[in-house]
Amino acid sequence: MKLSRVVLALALSLASSAWAKDIKLLNVSYDPTRELYTEFNAAFSKHWKAKTGDNVTVEQSHGGSGKQARSVIDGLPADVVTLALAYDIDAIADKSRRLPADWQKRLPNNSAPYTSMINFLVRKGNPKGIKDWNDLVKPNLSVITPNPKTSGGARWNYLAAWGYALEKSGNDEAKAKEFVGKLFKNVPVLDSGARGSTTTFVQRGIGDVLLAWENEAFLAIKEFGADKFEIVTPSLSILAEPTVAIVDKIVAKKGTEAVAKAYLEYLYSDEGQDIAGKHFYRPRSEKAVAKYAAQFPKLKLITIDSSFGGWRAAQKKHFDDGGIFDDIYKP
Amino acid sequence: MSEKASQQPVGQSKKRQANTWLRVVQEQVEAESFGSVEITVHDSKVIQVQRTEKLRLDRARQLFPPSGLPAAFIPKLPRRPSGPPQFLDPKKRPLMKNRSKSIRATLAAAGLLVLGSTASFAAEESVAELRALIQQLDQKIKVLERKEELDKESSAEKAKTTAVVTAGASGFQMRSADTNFVLKIRGYVQADARFYPADNSSGTKNDTFLLRRVRPIFEGTLYDKYDFRVMLDFPSGNMVTANNNSFVQDAYLNARFFPEFQVQIGKFKEPVGLERLQSGANLLFIERSYPSQLLPNRDVGIQIQGDLFNYTLNYQIGAFNGVPDGGSGDTDATNFDDEKDIAARLFAIPFRNSDNDALRGLGFGVSATIGDHEGAPRGYSSAGQQSFFAYTGTVVADGQHWRVSPQAYYYWGPFGLVAEYAVSSLNLRNTANGRQQELTHTGWQVAASWFLTGEENSFKAVQPLKPFTVGGDGWGAWEVAARVSQLDIDDDAFTGAGPFANSATAASAATSCGLGVNWHLNRNVKFSLNYELTNFDGGTSPLLENGEQALFARAQVAF
Repeated sequence: MKLSRVVLALALSLASSAWAKDIKLLNVSYDPTRELYTEFNAAFSKHWKAKTGDNVTVEQSHGGSGKQARSVIDGLPADVVTLALAYDIDAIADKSRRLPADWQKRLPNNSAPYTSMINFLVRKGNPKGIKDWNDLVKPNLSVITPNPKTSGGARWNYLAAWGYALEKSGNDEAKAKEFVGKLFKNVPVLDSGARGSTTTFVQRGIGDVLLAWENEAFLAIKEFGADKFEIVTPSLSILAEPTVAIVDKIVAKKGTEAVAKAYLEYLYSDEGQDIAGKHFYRPRSEKAVAKYAAQFPKLKLITIDSSFGGWRAAQKKHFDDGGIFDDIYKP
Repeated sequence: MSEKASQQPVGQSKKRQANTWLRVVQEQVEAESFGSVEITVHDSKVIQVQRTEKLRLDRARQLFPPSGLPAAFIPKLPRRPSGPPQFLDPKKRPLMKNRSKSIRATLAAAGLLVLGSTASFAAEESVAELRALIQQLDQKIKVLERKEELDKESSAEKAKTTAVVTAGASGFQMRSADTNFVLKIRGYVQADARFYPADNSSGTKNDTFLLRRVRPIFEGTLYDKYDFRVMLDFPSGNMVTANNNSFVQDAYLNARFFPEFQVQIGKFKEPVGLERLQSGANLLFIERSYPSQLLPNRDVGIQIQGDLFNYTLNYQIGAFNGVPDGGSGDTDATNFDDEKDIAARLFAIPFRNSDNDALRGLGFGVSATIGDHEGAPRGYSSAGQQSFFAYTGTVVADGQHWRVSPQAYYYWGPFGLVAEYAVSSLNLRNTANGRQQELTHTGWQVAASWFLTGEENSFKAVQPLKPFTVGGDGWGAWEVAARVSQLDIDDDAFTGAGPFANSATAASAATSCGLGVNWHLNRNVKFSLNYELTNFDGGTSPLLENGEQALFARAQVAF
């Protein structure tokens, strides 16, 4: 082959690759977001193709939020993390230095494009008559929740119960500890993530009540039928704010910063918000809030900042090794 | 026909009243075999107790004749009432599902038996209780199953990242889950005894025990292609010298880009002597023969090597600092000049992949080194490790030094033969009188061995067919060996004006005949006994005149 032809072929292949790049992103997420991101990824790929002509494939990884954070710290090359709670991303920032400590300020709503809360999923007809948190500590009742050590949802579950007990006892921490301890005595098996707990409760038929992400409870009913389960909304719950961030060092290395950023920003777009609402995540935008208002019950929601002084404090006090959870849960 | 005998007792708080009506109720209950006792409450007070006696055909007894249970009844057994839906994914855990079925069947059978034995009374009530009990047990089983499932999941996940540690006859090994990092810990120890039965009045070494080799080995592979090896040595009398740091025997990296093209860098054996290239742990005799004394030992350098034609031809070519005969070196700083030695070897095992047993174990080749050397040359020792030739102190190497060594081995079943020839030609200068001379020394050996116990003889470690066990029928592998070896010093070393060696204290040749027996207890433990008789040409010292008898013994553990 003549040199000129080689050069021409090279130039052509370079040019064609300039026209349409194939980009791969890895979104490391928590356990129950599989369906949300499957749809959102497809929508974003379409959006990005229309906007830039490039093909984006987003690979998903799911698991208990704390466990996923650990994987990223240990080197899983996530372009973006979309985890169950801010602390897990803090942990990545602290331990791996792959993103700045103030990552949460980079996107609106403290980088939480959608919210959720914790409710109860019970078997049809609510045979054990479960109405509120205080029903969960009764003897001979079986409660399903994942492990707060590995799961973000489980930490929200735990803190919601704690918040309820504090309110009922007039902020008596000892009573709250006793209450949550009793609750976890009723937990026969701890999964590592929320989806695992759903499997335990729904598919393996274990337990009387599943402490679930609101979106997960809705999904269980949608998938397995309203004739099998029903949702019980407790008198009080916690506002769960799953957060998202790009992992700076990884996107810089892979050259995916622009698309990763756009990916997360697209969560705040009309389409992103609508997909969130459709998958039973509470959206932020007024338009989507209005559209899905009917599906979300209104109840008192405590927040991590006001009731627990933020995630770092809550994590240290309750879930770190030697924390309260280690004290009350002895398998 | 289920009539609950007692509802929640009314007026629980009013104990005094309760005591009275409870007694009445108890009397009524005790007075009847089958039926119901009804209480009527008015304004939180029990105002009436009514007993209903039941006379009926005993259905339960019909259903459960003492001889056995009708199969038709089984489907009606208590089922999980609000039956949590089963969405078991059969692909995910078929085994567990089956087990769960069998457990449930057992439970059901147990329930039937209980039911059968109690059916004669209160069948309906028992069914309700059993139903609750079975439901509880069912939950417990499901929890256990789920826990097992989660354990399996987490151990499967752990296996993806957990390093594997193995221990065996070939050492201890750690391997990362992705096999990108492998570390093997190996080593060997040789504890020797040296006896000289015919002591000469002077010149003979003392009988002694000594640690001949004490060698921990760390070797492994990084990213599947990069081998490394560090072998240290702490034998008796080891000393640090500038050009021969014998504490570090091997320290190298071998990048196996392709089997045919590998690059090895660091300190390792120069690719020259056949017996030298055999591991110290696999030697046939306790000490190597004369050709090894003419050829280089370990040196620092870079070598390209590979296996060609389906491992039937092996080549090595490298550049090294250069070492004197039989020597090792770490550096060229004090001895020898800027010139480097080139060493190369070609070795063929042409029938390696053939089915012909008689030819498969044949290997032969040739090796050579060339380079300019300066500095002190080394003398030579007998089979009994006593010096029989040394240059006078004023002699230095000065000029080209080349060596050639044809070599071969042949193994067929229990039989083994090793033959090796070496020429070492070096330019020397006597600094006392300025005389320059090229000397050419030659050496050769032929060694044969036979496994009495029938093992496959090999250049490498031998695996006994029946390892030795105390009180068992295994005797390990027994090997007998014979060797003849000679080293011939260039006669010019002794002649002319200003000779390079003292003809009274240095011999011009040494010839050794040796017999040996090796007992391989198992792959890791070996005992050896050698007897070598050496005669010398020339020299007037008692050792050189009378010859040498050496009885060496060795205990070796290698892994």
